[in-house]
Amino acid sequence: MSSRFFFSFTHLVIASTLVGTLWHSACHAKSKGRPQPKETSTSTMQAPYEAETRLIAIYKMIGAGQAREALPLATELTRDFPTFQLGHLVYGDLLSMQTKPVTKLGELPSHLQKTATAAPLAELREESLQRIKALQERPAMGTAPSQILGLAARNKHVIAIDASKSRLYVLENGSQGLRVILDTYISVGKEGIGKYAQGDLKTPLGVYYLTTPVDPKLLAPLYGGGALPINYPNPLDQRMGKSGNGIWLHGTMPERYSRPVKATDGCVVMANPDLQKLMAIVAVKTTPVIIASKLQWVRPEQNAAERIKFESVIASWREAKNSGQADRLYSFYASDFQAYGKSLDAWWIKNLRDMGQIRQRPVQWKDLTILAWQTGAPDKPTNVMIVTYDEVSSNRAQSATKRQYWIQTGTQWKIFFEGSIAAS
Amino acid sequence: MDLNHSSRRFILTIASVALAAFMSTAHADDYADVARLTKAKQFSEALAKADQYLASKPRDPQMRFMKGVVQNEMGKVGEATTTFTRLTEEFPEIPEPYNNLAVIYANSGQFDKARAALEMALKTNPSYSTAHENLGDIYAKLASKSYAKALQIDVASATAPSKLQLIREIFPTTGTDPKQSTSTQASHPVVAPLQPKQPTVIVAAPTPNNQPQVAPPAVAGALSNRDVTSAVTAWAQAWSDRNMSAYLASYTKDFTPSSKQSHEVWEKERRLRIMGKAHISVKLSSINVVMGANGTSATVKFRQDYKADALATSSRKTLEMVKSGERWLISKEMAG
Repeated sequence: MSSRFFFSFTHLVIASTLVGTLWHSACHAKSKGRPQPKETSTSTMQAPYEAETRLIAIYKMIGAGQAREALPLATELTRDFPTFQLGHLVYGDLLSMQTKPVTKLGELPSHLQKTATAAPLAELREESLQRIKALQERPAMGTAPSQILGLAARNKHVIAIDASKSRLYVLENGSQGLRVILDTYISVGKEGIGKYAQGDLKTPLGVYYLTTPVDPKLLAPLYGGGALPINYPNPLDQRMGKSGNGIWLHGTMPERYSRPVKATDGCVVMANPDLQKLMAIVAVKTTPVIIASKLQWVRPEQNAAERIKFESVIASWREAKNSGQADRLYSFYASDFQAYGKSLDAWWIKNLRDMGQIRQRPVQWKDLTILAWQTGAPDKPTNVMIVTYDEVSSNRAQSATKRQYWIQTGTQWKIFFEGSIAAS
Repeated sequence: MDLNHSSRRFILTIASVALAAFMSTAHADDYADVARLTKAKQFSEALAKADQYLASKPRDPQMRFMKGVVQNEMGKVGEATTTFTRLTEEFPEIPEPYNNLAVIYANSGQFDKARAALEMALKTNPSYSTAHENLGDIYAKLASKSYAKALQIDVASATAPSKLQLIREIFPTTGTDPKQSTSTQASHPVVAPLQPKQPTVIVAAPTPNNQPQVAPPAVAGALSNRDVTSAVTAWAQAWSDRNMSAYLASYTKDFTPSSKQSHEVWEKERRLRIMGKAHISVKLSSINVVMGANGTSATVKFRQDYKADALATSSRKTLEMVKSGERWLISKEMAG
C-alpha cells in the first residue's frame, strides 16, 4: 500500500530544527533500550519517564522517515499510557500520515480546528518542545548545579529544578560524587516563576528544603500520588517580604499523565510514576530543593575557590564561638537578624548563655552542607549562603541540626538567620 | 466515483482467481437469484435460497459471502460477522470478507478492529481500492479520536457522527471477461459493478467488460486516444476546479450510477458533494486508453489521487467513454 498513500514523512517537522538535530544526535540514553511495555497500564507500576522515552523514540523514527514502523509503537504507547496526551497527539499524526502529508505536530483535521482546541494544542506543542529540548541539553556527567558548594554525606539526594527546561533532576550523592538519577518533565505556575505574593500563580525561585509530606489519603485527586511541601517562604523570602505558602511538589490528576508547561498555582507538578519514585528516595527535612530559572551545571573544581573562601568565613565564626569571644561573634550577625520572630538582641541573650556552656564543653560541628543562592538584579546580584550543620557537644553526646542564612554585603558575610531544624 | 467519508462499500468480487475456481456458469443462476431476492429485500427468501445451495456446496465462498451480506441486511450482525470471519479463516487469500468485516466493525465504532481487518484485506490484495478507501476513512476517524483524547475534548463530538450506511452488494449476472482472469492482472480482482442502495453513494453501474481489447487501426486510434485522454484530463480539472457545469457536461445526458437513481438526482447530489468541499484536487496518472472496435467507445483506466479538505486517497478507476459528436463523454464510472 505504500505506493497508494502519501508517506511524505520527510515533510514532517516537529519543533523545526530542534527535532532535526535531536533525530540525528544519539539520544543520551537514560536506560538501556526502551523498557518493555507493561501488560496493562497501572498508574503505580509504570517506570519513571517511560512514557517520555517511548514518545521520543517515536519522534525520532518519524524524523528518520519510519512513520509506518512508528505507528504500532504509538498504538502501544497510547494503550499503556492512556492519559498521556502527547502520545495521543503523535498517534493522531501517524494515523493521518497514512493518508496525507503531515507537516507539523498536531495537524488537526479541519473539523477539529476551532478556537476551543487552539489553546490546548499550543500547550501540547510547548510541552513537546520542552521535553525535546531538555533531552538534547542534558547535564554533562560529573557536573552538578552551581548552587551546591558542599554537601554532607547524609544528604543522599538533591532535587534541582530548571524552569527554563521544565525539568526536575534528582542527584544522588555517592562516593563518586553527584550523579543524576532522575530527570523528568515538570510543570510550573500558570504565571511562570519568581513567586513574590500570595495568589500570584508563580513558582518560587530559591534554595528550599522538603518539609513534612502530606498524607496521600488526605489529598484531593488533583494532586495525584502524593505531595512533598517545601519550606517556602524561607528566611530569605521572608526577609524580602515574599508571601504565600503551600508550595508543593505533587503528582497529576488521574485523567492527565502530565500537565502543560505552565499549569499550576505555583506548585511543581510531575507525572505520578516520577513522583512516586521521588517520594521513595527523598528524606524529609534533609533533601534540598533548588528551584532556578536556569541551572548552571559545573564541575566540583569550578566552584572550589568559592567554597574554600566561604568555608574560611565559617571557620572564623566557629573559632569566635568556641573561644567565647562574644564581641567578635556578634560582628558576624546582621543588624536585621531574625530568628523565628526574635530580633538580634532578643536572640543574642540566649546565644550568650549557650556560649557560656560552650566555653566549658567545646562544640564540634559536622555534616556541613553549603548551598549558594543569588538574589536581586542579575547584573548586581546579592550572594546568599544557606548553611546546614550538626552541632554536637562532645561530652553530652547531644546534637542538633542547625541552619544559617548568610548574606554578603561588600566583602563582609553576615548571618541574618540561625535556628534549629527539628529532627524529623 | 466520489469518495464518501461516511460509507463503507460491500464489494463482491466475481473475477478473482480464488473465486473463479469455485464458479461455473450453472452456479451463476443461483447467485443471480440470491442477488435478485436480496435486491428486492426478500431477505428470508434470499437466505433460504442461499442455504439450499450451500446444503450441497457448503464450502462455496461466493454463496457464503452473499449469505453474509443478506444476514447483515437482516440485522443479524453477529451471524454476518461469523460468516465473514469463517470466510477469512478458510479463504485468507480473498480480501472481500475482510472488507465487509471492517464495515461491520466500523459501524459499531470498533475502528481499531476495522483497521486490522482492512489491513488484512490489503495484505491479501495490495491494490484493492475499496479497502484502501475504507482504510483511509478509518485512519481519519482514528486520528480524530486520538486528537480528541490529546486535546481532552469530547471524543463523540470530535468524530463526525457515524452515518455509516451499509451498501448492499448487488451481484452481476454476467460472467467475466475470460481475458481478465487469465491476464497478468488476474491476481487483482476486478471490483464488481456496484449498485448503491443509498443514493448518497456514487458507484458505477454494472459494466460487463466485453469490449474486445484490440487496438483499432494505428493512426486513427492514436488520434482518438489523444482526444479521450484530453477529455478525461478536462473532467479531472473541472472536478478540481469545482466547475460544476464543466464537470457535469463531461458525462452523457442519461448518465446515472444506478438504475434506481435518475440523472437529475445524481446531478443534484454531485453538486452538493462537490460544492460542499472547500478544496478538491484530482490528479490522474498512468492513464491507459483502450479504444473500442468501432472507434466510438473507449475504456480508460488510471490512478486517481484525490484530495478534499482533510481526506486524501489514491485509487484505481475505470471510465467507460462514448463519442458523442466530436466529444468524448463518460457513460460509466467505476472503481478498479
